[in-house]
Amino acid sequence: MNSDQSFMLEQTGNAQRKALGVGVVCLALCVIELVIHPTQFLRSYLFGEVFWLGIGLSCMGILMLHHLVSGRWGFVLRRPLEAAAKTLCWMAIFFIPIIVGMHHLYIWSRPADVAADPVIQQKTFYLNTPFFIARQIVYWVLWILLAYFLNRWSTRQDGGSDPESQRRLRNLSGPGLVIYGFTVTFAGFDWVMSLEPHFFSTIYGMMFTVTEAVGGMAFITIVAYLLSQQEPMSEVIQPSQFHDFGNLLLVFTLLWAYLSFSQYLIIWSGNLQNEIPWYVSRTNRQWAWVALALVIFHFAVPFLLLLQRFITFRKQYLVGVASLLFIMSIFDLFWLMAPAYNPKGPQFHWSDWVALVGLGGIFVAIFVSQLKTKPLVPLHDPTFAGVLQHE
Amino acid sequence: MDPVDPVTEEKPAFVEPGSPWIAPGHSYGSVSDRIAGVVLGRTRKGWIFGFAIAFFLFLVLNYGITMLFFVGVGKFGINIPVAWAFAITNFVWWIGIGHAGTLISAFLLLMRQKWRTSINRFAEAMTIFAVACAGMFPLIHMGRPWLFYWLFPYPDTMGVWPQFRSPLVWDVFAVSTYFTVSLLFWYVGLVPDLATLRDKAKNKLAKVAYGFFSMGWRGSVKHWRRHEVASLLLAGIATPLVVSVHTVVSFDFTIAIVPGWHSTIFPPYFVAGAIYSGFAMVIMLAIPLRKWFHLEDFITIRHLNNMGKLLLATGMIVTYSYVMEAFMAFYSADKFESYMMLNRMTGPYAIVFWTLIACNIAIPMTFLWSYRIRTNTVALFLIAGVAQVGMWLERFVIIVTSLHRDFVPSSWGQFYPTPTDWEVLFGSLGLFFCLFYLFARLLPSISIFEMRDLVHKTAEEAGVIAGAAE
Repeated sequence: MNSDQSFMLEQTGNAQRKALGVGVVCLALCVIELVIHPTQFLRSYLFGEVFWLGIGLSCMGILMLHHLVSGRWGFVLRRPLEAAAKTLCWMAIFFIPIIVGMHHLYIWSRPADVAADPVIQQKTFYLNTPFFIARQIVYWVLWILLAYFLNRWSTRQDGGSDPESQRRLRNLSGPGLVIYGFTVTFAGFDWVMSLEPHFFSTIYGMMFTVTEAVGGMAFITIVAYLLSQQEPMSEVIQPSQFHDFGNLLLVFTLLWAYLSFSQYLIIWSGNLQNEIPWYVSRTNRQWAWVALALVIFHFAVPFLLLLQRFITFRKQYLVGVASLLFIMSIFDLFWLMAPAYNPKGPQFHWSDWVALVGLGGIFVAIFVSQLKTKPLVPLHDPTFAGVLQHE
Repeated sequence: MDPVDPVTEEKPAFVEPGSPWIAPGHSYGSVSDRIAGVVLGRTRKGWIFGFAIAFFLFLVLNYGITMLFFVGVGKFGINIPVAWAFAITNFVWWIGIGHAGTLISAFLLLMRQKWRTSINRFAEAMTIFAVACAGMFPLIHMGRPWLFYWLFPYPDTMGVWPQFRSPLVWDVFAVSTYFTVSLLFWYVGLVPDLATLRDKAKNKLAKVAYGFFSMGWRGSVKHWRRHEVASLLLAGIATPLVVSVHTVVSFDFTIAIVPGWHSTIFPPYFVAGAIYSGFAMVIMLAIPLRKWFHLEDFITIRHLNNMGKLLLATGMIVTYSYVMEAFMAFYSADKFESYMMLNRMTGPYAIVFWTLIACNIAIPMTFLWSYRIRTNTVALFLIAGVAQVGMWLERFVIIVTSLHRDFVPSSWGQFYPTPTDWEVLFGSLGLFFCLFYLFARLLPSISIFEMRDLVHKTAEEAGVIAGAAE
């Protein structure tokens, strides 16, 4: 049964159509908000877009990491990761409303506000509209090129026409990860950190990248679980591979906690006027509960659970932990973004969640359609020659 | 001479066919003979020559420290505002070098990376000696080093208690824990090999000494089982320590508000920088070691290639951190932050800054991408050396350029190193290399029992001993 045809994804239970339907309906609902309250619409939309882009971007990062270190865990994850990376080509279109409506989102893009704020005036060398747009174009071109070639060479490998594919993929992934690290960092500054233009932190880009990676790894673990529910993948994905996914989730969770705590301790101890307000709004009043929930459910609980082998070796338990981390990474992003508009406490506006679900529907629809285009495992990858026989 | 099995004293039952991590044709006996031969053979002239140079530098260190204790810390070039300079730079540099050993032995053990087998022993030794060198500097930098125990929280009659909010106190715990765990880990790993040396030694004194330290190891199944459990437990404890020690060292700076020190990226950046310089040192020790003691079969070109790749990866994180520091200095719109960066680039220490950029980024990050360079021993050795210098300069730049011009121009100053500064710096290299030369002569630089295990696994994978494995 080891032929390409038998590994094509066929039974998706019209998931693609359902996801697309949910996406279109939710985004249509958001249009109501656009008419009544365009600023709120854009805030919600930015939140949803940054979250789902983060999933696609981090999957691309994990894919390149896999090409470089080629661990066994990548064998079954590679095609879902490629499909998630490919979504970036389409999600670019959904970024356009943010550029069009950026004056509603970013104080620094409004000349009147800049004129009243001497601190922002000194940042205009970076925070200005033309340069912002130029940067977005550079990021998107680089990301789309990376996603395109990562998929194209992998497809060629399946065709068996290009024995050089493996080497090319590896050679692309080294510099690709460097490009990825820098672009995602600066995208994090542009999209999220500059919502509060006074704040700056050198660790922010790294923290933002890892925040995305936790969500991405959780997403891909859930996908692996769903795929393993039916033939033929149920025979390919072994408990030991879920154990590897669990370990990767543990690594990203620990990194997230390490970077977040480092930033917190350093800013708390410095207690300087241009840094501390960022934490004052995020750890006081109602936001303190969100912060506390993050400490417990984004770190403590998953950390303790992922250390247990009886959880990581059982996919039905592991997918529970991955789902918790996935949900918490939504709250994490919300906690990073929303205090910029509502420093006194979280205001759960309906459009925040409708936009998130809407863009998620679109993302999942594209993801499933991409996943269908290739066999679910890279059978022609020489690195994995014989993996199936050993299982 | 044909290899002879050390246990049965017969010709080996099998000879492994070679793998990426070991040259072909080795048996248990040949591995043991080759590695133990370095220790039990005669002292070579090259060794005496190298040790003499290291010992001379060690004497220089003794001279420097004697003068320092006799006169006081004024013998250093430190002043106000630059109250920290060479001694702390050396401390951070040495402790950084001490990171690779534990990373290789503990983290790579947990990751089941086979290639660590032939480099872990001397990398661990390097860690211990580097941490010993590092630990010396905060002590000699104290005005009254004989009162160092005040750093420990003990119930004294004065009612003085350490300030637990000070990262310098955290350092005491972080570094002493790290040293203890590294030493234990190294020693536990050595025990089976000490027993091999005990059994192979002809000299009475050597038999007694190795016998004493091998603690009655007989190689029974029970011994091996306990050994394995102890190693894994220590690896589990040591892995978080790799991150925690340099994180705490970075807090020494970031917890303060001095521009150039108070930067949130310091914890991961210091850890990456530590592993960077640590791997540079492992490469600088591995290349001469394999050449002089003919260990090319065990420390292969593939090992050097992998270490080169790790150097590249950690160097890229360091590069990323420099970019973030420079960008945020200007983006912050804080005049002290942006002046700090401008002063580094164009101020009185600009030459040091640009040399650091050349040594840490421009040279290694250009050449290490090439497979040919990574597998060329001379080039790799030189690049590792350049990176090592770069990492020392980095700590110097962080410490001195941040202190010498902070907030108030009227309290700006300048630091010039004195002969004592240089004596202590180069002297610490003497101490390190003295210890390392002694180690290479007296103890097996490569783990014998783990290499035997590698021989077994290589042969098993190739099907040479398919039956024997069952």
